[in-house]
Amino acid sequence: MSGLSSLEKVLGSKELLYTLLLLSVILPILHPLGIPVEISQRTRDVYGYIEKNLRSGCRVYIEVYYEVAARGELEPNLIALTKHLFDKGCKIVYGSLGAFGVVAFSLFKSMASDLFEGKEYGRDYVYLGYIAGGEAASASLAKSIKGTISVDNYGNRLEDLPLMREVDKATDFDLVIIVSSGTDVFSYYVRQWHTPYGVPLLFAALSVIAPSIEPFVGAKQAVGMLVGQRSAAEYEVLVGRLGLGIASMDAQSTSHMLIVAFIIIGNAIYWGKRVSSKKGGSK
Amino acid sequence: MISWDLFGAWLCAAMVVWIYSFVYRDNVFYKVAEHMFVGTAAGYSIALALDSLNRVLISPAVRSPQTFLTTSWHYLIPAILGVLMFAKYSRKYYWLARYAVAINIAVGTGLALRTVPIANVVRQITATIVPLWGSDPVKVFNNWVLVLITLGGLTYFLFTIFPRRVEGARASPQHLVYRALYYIGIYGMMVGFGALFANTIMTRVGFLISIYLIYIQPQAWASIIAAVLAAIAIIVGILRKK
Amino acid sequence: MSLVVRRHIPQLIVTVIIILTVAFYYLYINKGIAESFTTADKALSDWAVIITSFALIVGGIDILRFHLVRLRKEGLKQAPFSAVTIGLLVVMVFFALHGWFLSYADPKAGITITTQPQFRWLYLNVYAPADAAMYSILVFYIASASYRAFRVRNPMALLLLVTALIVIFGNTTIGGLIWPGFLPLRDWIMTVPNTAAFRPITIGAGLGTIILGLRLLTWREVSWLGRRE
Repeated sequence: MSGLSSLEKVLGSKELLYTLLLLSVILPILHPLGIPVEISQRTRDVYGYIEKNLRSGCRVYIEVYYEVAARGELEPNLIALTKHLFDKGCKIVYGSLGAFGVVAFSLFKSMASDLFEGKEYGRDYVYLGYIAGGEAASASLAKSIKGTISVDNYGNRLEDLPLMREVDKATDFDLVIIVSSGTDVFSYYVRQWHTPYGVPLLFAALSVIAPSIEPFVGAKQAVGMLVGQRSAAEYEVLVGRLGLGIASMDAQSTSHMLIVAFIIIGNAIYWGKRVSSKKGGSK
Repeated sequence: MISWDLFGAWLCAAMVVWIYSFVYRDNVFYKVAEHMFVGTAAGYSIALALDSLNRVLISPAVRSPQTFLTTSWHYLIPAILGVLMFAKYSRKYYWLARYAVAINIAVGTGLALRTVPIANVVRQITATIVPLWGSDPVKVFNNWVLVLITLGGLTYFLFTIFPRRVEGARASPQHLVYRALYYIGIYGMMVGFGALFANTIMTRVGFLISIYLIYIQPQAWASIIAAVLAAIAIIVGILRKK
Repeated sequence: MSLVVRRHIPQLIVTVIIILTVAFYYLYINKGIAESFTTADKALSDWAVIITSFALIVGGIDILRFHLVRLRKEGLKQAPFSAVTIGLLVVMVFFALHGWFLSYADPKAGITITTQPQFRWLYLNVYAPADAAMYSILVFYIASASYRAFRVRNPMALLLLVTALIVIFGNTTIGGLIWPGFLPLRDWIMTVPNTAAFRPITIGAGLGTIILGLRLLTWREVSWLGRRE
């Protein structure tokens, strides 16, 4: 066996790669490298849109649609956006078209309890809870929230909540933010909220689904998009509340570099073996 | 004194470590964690469906029956059809479940059909109709890239009639244009898939980091004990196989 | 029961509802008709919301049935695991029903299905970490696959790799230290070539939805009917 083949076998052992990957995540968290976070123009544009277009008293609807696994990527986005909106004096109605949204919202609230201090439930924010039905539920809520569900997630009658007396249908909202780990939900809102009613949408998406929903942003069906943990870290810097997004950035860098190194070594071995076999060397 | 909160936090850490132990080898602790997950997920799904049903249908009917019967009486129809979905377990009356499915499928398709032509087709086409000449060279270049790759992708996916080249004859201009767009489409998609691949790594690593930060690190002792238990189970599994 | 009741009436319902929902969205005859259409349209969406809830319950019960069968038919090797699943499923539903009962019996306590303490404890300490861990395992496989399978064999693969590397360096903060241009270059890739690459897919998905709708309308799509007679 040639040197290249034995190197390939050693590096190909899954136990080695998995252990290195775990270490590349854990070590930078225990000993942060402190690499500065540069803010991209796209994140600045989203921040600028909210700064420019939303005034105190504006009403925003936020769709919380991500499973617990996606917390690391989407919860920091949700926290940073909520902080920005509350700082601007906006009122927020949260809702979930996915059952897991209820757990996600519950964990989000406990992680960002400081944001809700001084905010009154029912007046400044409301959580509608889970509404089954996917696209049908989305269409129904766009026509009338109170006509779809009568009570919120905590059993309060919507008619008794001051904020819900101000808003009922899609056009009552100044901005709709979709924080989602599923591609379908972005399509639901584009089709049932933006296309018929022209409500401005803002996407906060998991990195892996961002490329596939980019055409909606490109066609101006959404005002902008925050993509995963990187955008979250940038937005945390912009709103001045550092959290999980920024804490993850060093670990993201080291683990990505490990994977890149393995891809390059894998290809170097592949080409090395190919060249040597063409020259008639050992196979 | 062990409180439920503390026990819960330890259970969290143990669940994560036991599930992670699967990447090294399948073992009894992974299986327990897996079945606990399936049980709670199914229970959670039923509970949340009940919750949604309660807030859409039952709560208005119980709290103000008079108003419900005058304005929302028709909600009883989907409720009955919903109950009939359980007929799928019957060999004789399984077809009763089809009525509810029919309404769901029809409403979903109808809602999508009326806006899809605008949202997915017309708006995407109009967004690709951009100026290909102008004073700003960067913008013009971007527009060319946008138009050519979009047309290339459409050629690859949708325009399935490909002008054939007659053997021995020179390639027709249509054939050359199609061929060029076809390759631009493929290479354009490679750029898209490259971005998708990079973002996939970002998401997966993000999952791992947040797991560590949220569930494992805060309860280090629980994680260590769970890891030792999983390691013993893995070693026992290896020895048994030998 | 005749085929008409078992197959044709449900198919007819699909056709009629699709035609009405689409036609009245585009056609305007007079204000009265438009208003009654809006009311009927909203009602139909709500019907779908209600039916979906029942469908989710049926799905949960399917899992219960599956494990009950396994408990009965399979030996001691599998039975304890199925017992764990059944036990937790039943316990979750029991606590949910308790919360539901309290929401009517004692509304002032503010306890509902999702806020019932034991139910909440179970979903926060068992369901949530397990869900997160299950998904995050994928990182190990993608890392392993990147090393084993990502080979630059032709120019297309090279282009894919180069793009991936630029986006990776743009996504991570370390990329900014190597060359500050990675971040704007990543944004350009995402907004120009990537948008153009995924646009035909978006258009294709739209056309696919339209075709599926037409197949349902014309009774050519029958998979939703389930078992065949």
